[in-house]
Amino acid sequence: MTKRAAISKRGYDDSWPPVRGDYVVGDPMCGVAVVTLASSLFVRGAAITGPCKTENLGVEKIIANVVSNCNIRFLIICGAESKGHLPGDTILALHQNGVDPQGRIVGSRGAIPFIQNLPFEAVRRFQEQVELVDCIGLEDKDAIEALIVKYQDLARPFPGMPFQAVRKASPRPVLPVGDGDLFLGSGVVADTMAWLALSED
Amino acid sequence: MFRFKREQSVVNVAGVKFGGQPGELATVLCGTIFYQGHRIVDDEEKGIFKREAAEALVCRQAELSEETGCPAVLHIYARSIQALQKYLDFAEQVWTGPIIIDSADPLTRAAGAGLVTELGYADKTIYNSISLSTDAAEGRAIMDSEIDSSIILAYNPSEPGVDGALKLLESGGNVLEKGLIPLARDYGIVNMLIDPGALPLGSGAGAILRFSVVAKARLGLPVGSVIHNAISSWPWLRERGAAIRKCCDAAAGSLQLLAAGDFLLYGPIENAEFIFPVAALSDILVAEAVADLDIFPGAGHPLHRLV
Repeated sequence: MTKRAAISKRGYDDSWPPVRGDYVVGDPMCGVAVVTLASSLFVRGAAITGPCKTENLGVEKIIANVVSNCNIRFLIICGAESKGHLPGDTILALHQNGVDPQGRIVGSRGAIPFIQNLPFEAVRRFQEQVELVDCIGLEDKDAIEALIVKYQDLARPFPGMPFQAVRKASPRPVLPVGDGDLFLGSGVVADTMAWLALSED
Repeated sequence: MFRFKREQSVVNVAGVKFGGQPGELATVLCGTIFYQGHRIVDDEEKGIFKREAAEALVCRQAELSEETGCPAVLHIYARSIQALQKYLDFAEQVWTGPIIIDSADPLTRAAGAGLVTELGYADKTIYNSISLSTDAAEGRAIMDSEIDSSIILAYNPSEPGVDGALKLLESGGNVLEKGLIPLARDYGIVNMLIDPGALPLGSGAGAILRFSVVAKARLGLPVGSVIHNAISSWPWLRERGAAIRKCCDAAAGSLQLLAAGDFLLYGPIENAEFIFPVAALSDILVAEAVADLDIFPGAGHPLHRLV
């Protein structure tokens, strides 16, 4: 691998960003990511830009895509807050307080603020890797792009490997089969908890 | 198809019946009006909208309901209490059936509970929703109102999947001290409509289909969903044409009904044009499938009306 190629790959994998979503990818080497909350704003210059309307799954996607790129050191939170869900408030709370053992984001005022699909280490890494720039309510594209330029100048890659925030493996216990609670006729019943249809013969 | 061993309760809100055994009652279809981004709304905060266009949509849903036999509910989404008041004034003049009041803002929802009580609409109002996010203040507002019907949102992010949703409903799981069903009873809710909460495709959307069957088998309560949300949040589909999007929406609704769904919050009220025929078709097929299981479709069922 040439030196140039090695540098171009530094800080993220070729598959970045790992989680699909409603976003626009810019230069993965850039040190700034932008979340525009409920506003649809196309701003230039960031590593990744996109909206976030939910305080749980939307926030998870941001974390997964940010911590998997060591170049990203600043997350600009701008645009109009999503009423009721409050993802902007939730990101700030997550960064400051983390999550409790049940996955609830401590201090968030959002409706159902939980991290369910990421390991706790991903949250810790998010807290360590990025600094938040709280501009909730800002919808001026020029002002946001100026912020990207400003923080890009300050950004240095996070010392470490990209964190691949894979889904928590769900336990798959063998379900006990009880009585049939659902009849399909012709002597066939089903145990809905086990999701098993069986013949009574 | 199948029938449940457990007796299936039927909930009656302003004359519209939800629940029962699959094939017994027609699917209740709830179209949303004044939703975020609805073209007929000029000012979401103030509740300023194009009245004639709104009336046409409500009337069209009513016509399709009458034609197919699938009962309709008007799902009103409001961004503020000021807007909700205007929407309710409008609804009172053009719609006699049940209404669902809904907002992303808990203060608007809570104030809405008081408002429908003041206006005398509480007996035909379904609150959307009692959920993990319902705090003491919102609970108090529901309790102080005369609302006795509510959607119970079983979304449990701390334990995703069917088991977690059931735990949240029954015991509160590891996130609430009390289950949502006993909590709703404390708030004075008699008519409970269970909704597992639709996640995006790829994040567990399919679980709502199994949940519907399991929840009815276990609880005997009416179950439905907003499976439309799983479709509308699918980025791949968003880039396809309108006809393909409608096909997928219709197919998802039909799958929910095959999985014992009793009601659908089918998304924008404009979708009534294709959702009512699809639901009627599904109801007829299910009713015919359970004909040998001692289940008889009720009066007004699409089976009696369209074939």
